[in-house]
Amino acid sequence: MKRIGGFLARRIVGGALTVVAIVTLTWLMYWSISPQPGRFVYPLGIKITGYQLRDGAHRLGADRPKLTQYGDWWWHVLHGDLGHRWTGATLSNNVLTTVPIGPTLYPAVRETLSILVGGALLAVLISVPLGAIAGRRIGSHADKLISLGALVGVCTHPIVTGKLLTQWFGIDLRWLPVGGYCSFVKHPPPAGLPANFPTCGGPVDWATHLIMPWFTFAFLFLALYTRMIRASVAESIHEDYVRTARAKGARERRVMALHVLPNATLRVLTMVGMDIGTALGVAVFVEFAYGIEGLARLSIDAMTGDPFASATDLPMLLAVVTLIALIVVIGNLVVDALYAVVDPRIGAADRPGRTKEIAAGVM
Amino acid sequence: MTAVELDAALVAPRPAWRLTLGRFLSDRAAVASLAAFAFVLFASFAGGPIVSAIVGHSGYFQFPYATNASLDPAGIWSHVPTTQQVRLDEYGNVLPPPKGSPTTLMVLGADGPLGRDEFIRVLDGGKASIEVGVFAVLISVLIAVPLGCLAGFYSGKVDAIISRLTEWVMAFPLIFFLVFATVHLTPTLRPIGWGHDIPAGVPMVALLIGVFTSFYPLRLVRAQLLTLRNAEFVDSSRMVGASGLRIIRKDLLPHLVPTLLVWGAVAVATDMLLEVGLSVIGVGVQSSTATWGTLLAQTTGTIYNAGLSAGRGEHHTTWHTVWPTLAILISVVSLNQLSESLRRAIEPWRR
Repeated sequence: MKRIGGFLARRIVGGALTVVAIVTLTWLMYWSISPQPGRFVYPLGIKITGYQLRDGAHRLGADRPKLTQYGDWWWHVLHGDLGHRWTGATLSNNVLTTVPIGPTLYPAVRETLSILVGGALLAVLISVPLGAIAGRRIGSHADKLISLGALVGVCTHPIVTGKLLTQWFGIDLRWLPVGGYCSFVKHPPPAGLPANFPTCGGPVDWATHLIMPWFTFAFLFLALYTRMIRASVAESIHEDYVRTARAKGARERRVMALHVLPNATLRVLTMVGMDIGTALGVAVFVEFAYGIEGLARLSIDAMTGDPFASATDLPMLLAVVTLIALIVVIGNLVVDALYAVVDPRIGAADRPGRTKEIAAGVM
Repeated sequence: MTAVELDAALVAPRPAWRLTLGRFLSDRAAVASLAAFAFVLFASFAGGPIVSAIVGHSGYFQFPYATNASLDPAGIWSHVPTTQQVRLDEYGNVLPPPKGSPTTLMVLGADGPLGRDEFIRVLDGGKASIEVGVFAVLISVLIAVPLGCLAGFYSGKVDAIISRLTEWVMAFPLIFFLVFATVHLTPTLRPIGWGHDIPAGVPMVALLIGVFTSFYPLRLVRAQLLTLRNAEFVDSSRMVGASGLRIIRKDLLPHLVPTLLVWGAVAVATDMLLEVGLSVIGVGVQSSTATWGTLLAQTTGTIYNAGLSAGRGEHHTTWHTVWPTLAILISVVSLNQLSESLRRAIEPWRR
């Protein structure tokens, strides 16, 4: 146990360093491209003057020494409020009001995590039985069918899956809402509306809005996980201990669940760990297909810049980069911890080598 | 056949690549996937011009009468009047063209409100998409092999730096890097192209995808060199006084070819999917150029217009999503199988 503790401590320090490195790199890259913060204060100035640029930057505090601003950024991160955006800065009566980042970003994290966690659970739930069926008899019709379906899944872009699912189940059949997100907790209607005014919220609404995103997400990852579980099952089904279990008279389901499938756990964990980054990339397209304003969408918006100011909202960009890096690092930490729990032999050792397959493309 | 000839045929050493080729050709899935990909290649590079010559218009022509009054495009297998003049009545309503005006055939109908030929655009789109895939793979191999050799063969500090950098970059979703780079490099790089053969924007997308995906082959090359550098044939080369560079070039690089081939076949497919992603976000090849990505992007909308129109992809039917998707599916599935078959032919001992 002590070894595991040391191992986790090392991982945490390494993860923190990774986050700091990624944020610093982003910061350096973006300052080198001159983000022109003044444009956000005078966004409608088609011919913005040099004075306006300097004055806007001064009001946003963007003309302070770079190191001060960098320290200021981490100060805000450590306080959890992530600072203020440049977009939406309004100047009236010579007073500048800016929009805090936290209130926009934290709900977005909730939306993205709902998609990711639900989709990942769905992918594992479907791929374990499919992989078990395919792996028990390699080369059978069931195996071929499952492999083909998995291949089609990994070759279909999530945006296409999303588009087709929305068309069929949302528009043609009207079974499910075509898009958007409903919070898990039901909030009362906004002030001024009657108390029985229909609002969107609660577990049922939340789930119905997310069913299609979950399936879209799972369809892509299903292939990789099914294939891997299939390989693992095919490998261990001929082992001696499986034959022993069968000889003892254990039923087939018990043999599979207790003796064959556990061997795949480690591999599944490894893949989950390295797919967290990929999954966030896939989330961009899932959110895009269903019109959900989640973290992934917001980060793409922050990277392409504000079309009205024709400049990049640097604090927003840094905030989403920090959050994404945090999600990836924390996700990997959880996987590492689970790894140590599942296989105590490994404990402090490194995880097996990483290989990525085709889903890396969509990422 | 005399006994001497028989002996010669049995004894004559067959080169390893002949054995591999034999294994590859006797695998039915391998031949099928090769044929499928050859068909995709033929259709996308020669199909567009051939169909244009038969029906008499290219994928760039816009036919006003290929859409109806509410801008919905003509359906599958429709004969569209070729006239560019739209007749209007005194209220400004569109009148049908005069009787007997010449028509042209649109095999898969029109592509949307602009009234271009969807079939030729899907064929032409394949050209751009496959070019993106192939160029990107070439670029990433060009980056990965020298760096991977440095890291794997010399190891030590160089290896530590390269590996750490790779890990950081790979922890982060690739699409974010791509969007980030594309947004800032579009004004400089997107105009680069070479006529209709390499549409403008293809080199930019290929370059960026190639640079950011070079981490995968880099890891492969590094891992392979780490295991090979202690092999006996490397030791013997070193013993006769070969320099490190010569050992890499003469002894180690040939070992990388099969690995890179297997990876490359999948990577072409992966990079084509990446191009789709970039186009859908709206930062890839410009939307007037047909690629499978831009064809899909016009049905889904990009971030720049998604919020504006409530009915994204209005004036498009599900078919407009299906055709490019089918094309992508055929090529990606065949490339995937090709890679798998190559691996099986090259390393038959590994399941």
